[in-house]
Amino acid sequence: MMPKPSRHTTTLATGPTAGRQARRRADAQKETRMPEATPQTLPPDAGSTALPPMLEVIEATHRYGDVVALDGVTVVARQGEFLTILGESGSGKTTLLRIISGLERPTAAKGVRIGGADVSELGASDRDCTTVFQHYALFPHMSVRENVEYGLKVRGVAAFERRKRAMEALELVRLAHTSERRIHQLSGGERQRVALARAFVTRPSILLLDEPLGALDEKLRLDMQEELIAIQRNLGITFVYITHSQEEALTMSDRVLLMKSGKIAQEGQPTELFDRPNSAFAARFMGVENILEGIIEKVALPYVTLSTGGHSITGQWCGKSTPRVGAKAVTGVRAERVRLSNVNEAPASANGFSCRRTASVYKGKYLDLTLDTEVGPIRSRLWDVDAAPAEPTFIHWSHDTCTVMDP
Amino acid sequence: MTPAVTSVAETNAIPPRGRKMQRPLLDRIAEASGWNVVAIALGTIALALIYGPLIWLGVMSFSAEPLSGKPYPLTFAHYGLLFSNDKWHAPFVKSVVLGLVVALACMIVGTFLARALVRLKRPGGVLFVALLPLFVPGLTIGAALFIFLRTTLDLRLGMWSLFIGHMVWAFPFALLLILIVTIRFDVKLIQAAEDLGAKPLRCFLDIELPLLMPGISGAGIFSFLLSFNELLRSTFLRGSETTMPVYNWAMASAQQSQVPIVFSLSTLILAVTLPLMGGLFFMLFARK
Repeated sequence: MMPKPSRHTTTLATGPTAGRQARRRADAQKETRMPEATPQTLPPDAGSTALPPMLEVIEATHRYGDVVALDGVTVVARQGEFLTILGESGSGKTTLLRIISGLERPTAAKGVRIGGADVSELGASDRDCTTVFQHYALFPHMSVRENVEYGLKVRGVAAFERRKRAMEALELVRLAHTSERRIHQLSGGERQRVALARAFVTRPSILLLDEPLGALDEKLRLDMQEELIAIQRNLGITFVYITHSQEEALTMSDRVLLMKSGKIAQEGQPTELFDRPNSAFAARFMGVENILEGIIEKVALPYVTLSTGGHSITGQWCGKSTPRVGAKAVTGVRAERVRLSNVNEAPASANGFSCRRTASVYKGKYLDLTLDTEVGPIRSRLWDVDAAPAEPTFIHWSHDTCTVMDP
Repeated sequence: MTPAVTSVAETNAIPPRGRKMQRPLLDRIAEASGWNVVAIALGTIALALIYGPLIWLGVMSFSAEPLSGKPYPLTFAHYGLLFSNDKWHAPFVKSVVLGLVVALACMIVGTFLARALVRLKRPGGVLFVALLPLFVPGLTIGAALFIFLRTTLDLRLGMWSLFIGHMVWAFPFALLLILIVTIRFDVKLIQAAEDLGAKPLRCFLDIELPLLMPGISGAGIFSFLLSFNELLRSTFLRGSETTMPVYNWAMASAQQSQVPIVFSLSTLILAVTLPLMGGLFFMLFARK
């Protein structure tokens, strides 16, 4: 695709990034500028490129009446980053998205910046970002092509140019053949892709996606995940993606931001959240099956030993706080990390217990066993049923696969 | 009553669309249960009572002696008289203009109010007050406005007072029709348009107005018809103006030789408005 003449035009990822940045700054000159970004708000690698981060929301708080939906949240995203905001419904993630898009003004915020320019006084129509809404919000009285063209139309792009760019966008989501159809003639997945095309056809700096795959069935969801990643790579636009599904977050993101009741519970790369959750909440959300509570009895970083029901469990410390002997903490281990055997063969660098099988659940690809142990019920997952004893009497898991974290 | 008739076809609607008519009507009636037969009978009687007299009026407008009750002998004499007589032209034009102005006002005010009502936290009170005139008898409204405007404020009544009376009458209907579409309207579409860069006026013109249009035009048509037919309030508020219904009523009540002309005129108006309105409604609601 080619660079297009319009106020919000940017070139594709292949284009010169610095030029894009300069143009955007020129765009923003008429707006009141906040003081330059303070160093601690920059993402780790922003200093190396000397460009302001694409998105900065600094300590945003939002209340609906007495309810605090967002509580001093800071979000920073790089140019071209795929950032996922993960959380349950009511965790404040949609509020955060609406504050970025401009559909909601935060009760208080130290700054909302897009491409380094302060946008906190701008309404949604003046911000260089677009949204893919949860239920798509496609215009029912327009054809597919008219829907995609709409953002260009309000920017005064000429009809011929508009049509060409809309068709290019539709080709990218493989829907060019449906361009003259009405919205109600499309399937859920097709609507989702039209909403996506409509949002990126104006080449925004940031694309916001509000649980875009939530309404699709599983097969389609998996296909769309891959398609979204491909489109994001292709366009080089910063994606801010909202979901409640840890699977989507892990598959697609460069970075994940886990939210809990209006605050950020944990932030990091997908592997960090998956392997090293920092709290019982994060561990449960990321699907850690076995979580036990206890009291810290020994600290030898990176290892911490926890006493639970009179037994000791050792694991790597992942919590945010500094571990103290006598403090409450939790330990977690994933079911697939729990090894089974018929003899007590736990190595020194592992937590071992005797066990008795109480239940097994066949899940097709794997078998989940529930085992009664001295420290309570423990779940173990068998991917290769033949390789494990049918009635195990001992289990163990290594200190390195075990995490200890804040309660 | 019409749904009762079609429902028989639907309860037995095993054959696919478009092939419904292959089974003879009598067969389907025979298969219908007792209640369905009653429903069909009552529906048919009601429809006959509505449309029968209308058709009869059309026939009698060609009768030489319409008040005799016999259509024969047929004649075009009344239509000839109607076209050579121009006394009804001014009332007709006045009624059309008044109807159009009332319709336009109802569409605009109704759209404003209906959009506001769905955004109110507690729309109940406003809605109640706005719809209450529906239940006030026409004579009462007419007399009340007459007393207030003519005797208390000592104003000269005319088209403007007719407009007020008709507006009070037509507005609640218009509001209800527009309210249906504003309630159904998804506010998220406005947010989506705004998010894509559209300013509020643009959002309204591009997104909201087209989607509300069926209700707004329905309100316009309805308001026009209500105003065009309005007699009770007009008798109080007309001052020295004569609208079409006032003219017809005066002719009919005077028992003049002009009466057959009124029949011809009514038939003509019916012949023009019924297909027009039917067509408009079809365009707005039936076509998808």
